[in-house]
Amino acid sequence: MPTRIPILRIANCCAVILLLAHLTACNDSEVVSYSIPKEVDRAAPATLPAGHPPAGVGSTAATTAMPALPGMQEIADAAPDIHFTLPNGWVDAGSTGMRKANLRVDDSDGSAEITALTFPGDVGGTLANINRWCGQVGLETINETALQEISAPITIANHGGLYVRLEGKEKSILAGILPFHGSTWFFKMLGDTATVQRNEPAMKTFLNSIQIEDAHH
Amino acid sequence: MLLIFFGTLDQVEYGIWHTQKLYFESFLVLWNYPQTWPGYPSLNWLRIPMLGGYTIGGLLLLNLTAAFITRFKFKAAKLGIYAIHSGLILLLVSELLTDLLSVESQMTISEGTRSNYSQTVRENELVLIDRSDPNQDIVHSISESQLQPGAQIAIPGSALQIRVVAFYPNAVLGRGSEQKVQSMATHGAGAKMNIIATPQPIDYSEKAINTSTAYVELQHADELLGTWLVSNVIDDRFPPQRFQAAANDWQIALRYKRHYYPFEIELIDFAHDKYPGTEIPFNYSSKVIAHHSDSSKNQQALIYMNHPLRYEGLTFYQASFSPDETATVLQVVRNPGWLLPYFSVLMMGFGMCYQFGLHFHRFLTTRTVQ
Repeated sequence: MPTRIPILRIANCCAVILLLAHLTACNDSEVVSYSIPKEVDRAAPATLPAGHPPAGVGSTAATTAMPALPGMQEIADAAPDIHFTLPNGWVDAGSTGMRKANLRVDDSDGSAEITALTFPGDVGGTLANINRWCGQVGLETINETALQEISAPITIANHGGLYVRLEGKEKSILAGILPFHGSTWFFKMLGDTATVQRNEPAMKTFLNSIQIEDAHH
Repeated sequence: MLLIFFGTLDQVEYGIWHTQKLYFESFLVLWNYPQTWPGYPSLNWLRIPMLGGYTIGGLLLLNLTAAFITRFKFKAAKLGIYAIHSGLILLLVSELLTDLLSVESQMTISEGTRSNYSQTVRENELVLIDRSDPNQDIVHSISESQLQPGAQIAIPGSALQIRVVAFYPNAVLGRGSEQKVQSMATHGAGAKMNIIATPQPIDYSEKAINTSTAYVELQHADELLGTWLVSNVIDDRFPPQRFQAAANDWQIALRYKRHYYPFEIELIDFAHDKYPGTEIPFNYSSKVIAHHSDSSKNQQALIYMNHPLRYEGLTFYQASFSPDETATVLQVVRNPGWLLPYFSVLMMGFGMCYQFGLHFHRFLTTRTVQ
């Protein structure tokens, strides 16, 4: 008996195959728009294994170091060395990576970290950096006029710099910003407000004692 | 056979993801004589065209279904054979559906925090986020594949346009020294930190994440808003790149492709259990609560090995965690056809039992009739 061609069945199967072919069609040639609940700015994420995608919403501790771009380590290594007098009660944790100085002070009210970092250029400008620090201690960002109120000129390593005082509710920052022959040095104390306040005289002494290898004078 | 052989050879150089796309998720593939093999200078003309995975799978499917169409006549005795064939067809179809429809991504959550999105690390998207509404953000996502140099893409619902100046699937970002090289970027992080992007060849190794980078020029109506550097390495650790257009706040970024969900997964606790007195792990588990916008769908779960959370059409597996054990990484899989292979195997199993049963029965009854 000759085999009859079942048209209906073939049609059904073709329809299924066409449907599957349609699904293979590339459809990322458009801009996809969608709305999401408002996202707040996150602090830096918890440390993740190398190569992992960064953490999602929220995080544990905010880092105090600036985010590192490739090439920054080489710049840090090429920068001049610094010398300073370690104030009483402060511990030298040893310079690491990009930190030319890495100090710490602990007391009954908490702790504070003191770091010295250097970068070529002005790293976005004084105001931008101070505003970044404002974020770290939970303060509102400031403008040029308000800058006068929280800063004062200071001499560090025989060059003119800026002394900055940011007092947050829980965390505070005392810092010295020093433009130095085409690069900028940041000497920053970040820690619990009570500890920072108690160590402000020590911080000033530390800043006064800093000497930077100077090939220019 | 040929496909699998040449696919395996190419996998050495291109890694599994690229080879899978090239050989198995395509209709036609061309195999080139590899540069690293002996005799390349004289044999580099050797190219072997082959039918790709979709073609071969498709032909197999056609073969099976054609046999079905032309010879199908319902006979109770052949029920088993039909079940086996249908099961096989279903398996092939389910493989195709998985290829087309399944999406795998990762969700990283720190203890005590919540996340409402997951990321696909192997795909990137350029996003322009309209932040002007106080209650929500509107995300306009452009997939990486559209970022061809010179491409002009309009953002719907606004007068914003982007023009792709350059796109590098992989690059190294560094800071240019003031005197020598200036960044192509005129605004944003690229300009502020004088970042130069140097294109690199794509890294195909399995765990590699390529630094997808682009320079895009923004334009609002007739006003040029500058050239911006975006890269998936300029992420949450950096201040967001923001600008204003017609009194609206916008943010631009190139990031791993995100999938947002109508719920948030909160990590209560990540536990890494070790055998007592040793450092040998025996269990990783994440205790999570899913908070849905429709609170009747809230759910608590413990996710650990071989015990994923199936929620809202997605499956959450315990994949990894941060070295300090305060964050968990969950693999999120959307595979609508995940049950199909089970059905297919059941059908084939039933078919085989039926056929063997039938033969066995006949064998038994024949023997008793002498």
